[in-house]
Amino acid sequence: MNASLLSGGWPLLGHLQELRKHPIELFWRVREECGEIGELNFAGNRVVLLTGVEAQEAFFRATDEQLDQAAAYPFMTPVFGRGVVFDATPEQRKQGLRNQSLRDSFMRGHAEVIARETERMMAKLGDAGELDLLDFFSELTMYTSSSCLIGKQFREELTPEYFKVFYELEKGTDALAYVNPYLPLPVFRARDRARRRMVELLTGVFERRARSGAASGEKRELFDVLLSIKNPDGTPRFPVDQITGMFISMMFAGHHTTSGTAAWTLIELLRNPEFGRRVVTELDSLYADGGEVSHQALREIPELENAIKEALRLHPPLILLMRKVVYDFEYKDWVVPAGKLVGVSPAVSNRMPECFPDPDRYDPDRYREGREEDAQLFAWIPFGAGRHRCVGAAFAMMQLKAIFSTLLREYSFELAQPAESYRNDHSKMVVQLAKPCRVRYRRRVRAAEST
Amino acid sequence: MRIRVDKDLCQGHGACVEEAPAVFALDSEKRLVVLNEHPDESLRAAVRAAVKYCPTRALRLEED
Repeated sequence: MNASLLSGGWPLLGHLQELRKHPIELFWRVREECGEIGELNFAGNRVVLLTGVEAQEAFFRATDEQLDQAAAYPFMTPVFGRGVVFDATPEQRKQGLRNQSLRDSFMRGHAEVIARETERMMAKLGDAGELDLLDFFSELTMYTSSSCLIGKQFREELTPEYFKVFYELEKGTDALAYVNPYLPLPVFRARDRARRRMVELLTGVFERRARSGAASGEKRELFDVLLSIKNPDGTPRFPVDQITGMFISMMFAGHHTTSGTAAWTLIELLRNPEFGRRVVTELDSLYADGGEVSHQALREIPELENAIKEALRLHPPLILLMRKVVYDFEYKDWVVPAGKLVGVSPAVSNRMPECFPDPDRYDPDRYREGREEDAQLFAWIPFGAGRHRCVGAAFAMMQLKAIFSTLLREYSFELAQPAESYRNDHSKMVVQLAKPCRVRYRRRVRAAEST
Repeated sequence: MRIRVDKDLCQGHGACVEEAPAVFALDSEKRLVVLNEHPDESLRAAVRAAVKYCPTRALRLEED
């Protein structure tokens, strides 16, 4: 049988407006009204939402041939540009892991880069003041990702304008793309303007590198190599527009996700000062004998890790994971016919009370030995699960540990607005922290120096 | 003890190879190969570390 359609859809648009206003409430409504499988209508695109451990496991275990990830995110195509894939096949991903920067053996170098980039951001802070969490962590993660994934010289070319342009691109992921991603609306115009600006910025970078000789010498980096490849007729194999698409897609997966998680980790530690104190105490004692962040960030920092995991559980950066059904997907007595989309919501899953007792409570201790609630592979899913589980998960955890190891030993923070006023903006498919999101900071007086 | 691999989950990161090279290897296609499904008791600590640090949690350790 077919999944039943959720009530309350509008003519033509279906549940699109509800998705653009209250997506998480919408997904919960499916679970309450339809059970573990129920259908949504996004302007004619039928999305069958699966909830509960069993249904989610079926989703995550399905093969790529049956459930296709690449076709499920139409709102991303204009951001990356045509011809740039959203995601590689599992085989290509493995291939990528073999040569690429996410491999275990590169992690130590990355940790060093991240600690240094955090220090560079801190150098701009001074002794005390107020900062905007979205701006601060967006800028920081733009530098760390580009340095680790693309190249150190390339990173030096980046200015704060890049993260602002990137923010415009992320804001361009309005669910109205389900109607048509090229509608002449201000939100899509701003997105396309931002993408054109990104091409201009990168063109400038590559011209400078060509003039200085850096692009052809021994120090050449990923993009220099790609730009030097020629077609048989002598024209460039990868035009700058396409390189820009690669840059955007490489940065995309690790940018708003990591930056949002950093912000929420800090917000929750400030809202729950007992855990905040525990993390700071842990870091102070870990680094008391002058240990290096590059070394320690790869090892266990239990209180901090648990705090990060709990921020991820309560505020997963992606709230809807989707696949396009290639051939009929069967689950129990239901059939989802080819052509429809199926989806799983980490925002729902991470708060299912049968898996996470007292699900709305911030409690990093739920990951301690004996409880280990994150061991529920198909329920604790901030990084997804199965074949398409985020390949950058280990990198992201290391990065967050390196950032907080550096930041929390140098500065203390406090909320600069009511604790309940921090929230995510869910009006776009890419979730961002809503502004204002400010905190106050003050340079710590280290115990050793004050005595 | 006995090692179980969930092939749907493994992405070939190779963290287990770093932790217990006597037990795990990756083939030329970066697919996981379990060299010894019933490793010797002396390898228990290494195997436990491999299970723990698997980024996709694809490994399990069972008692015979």
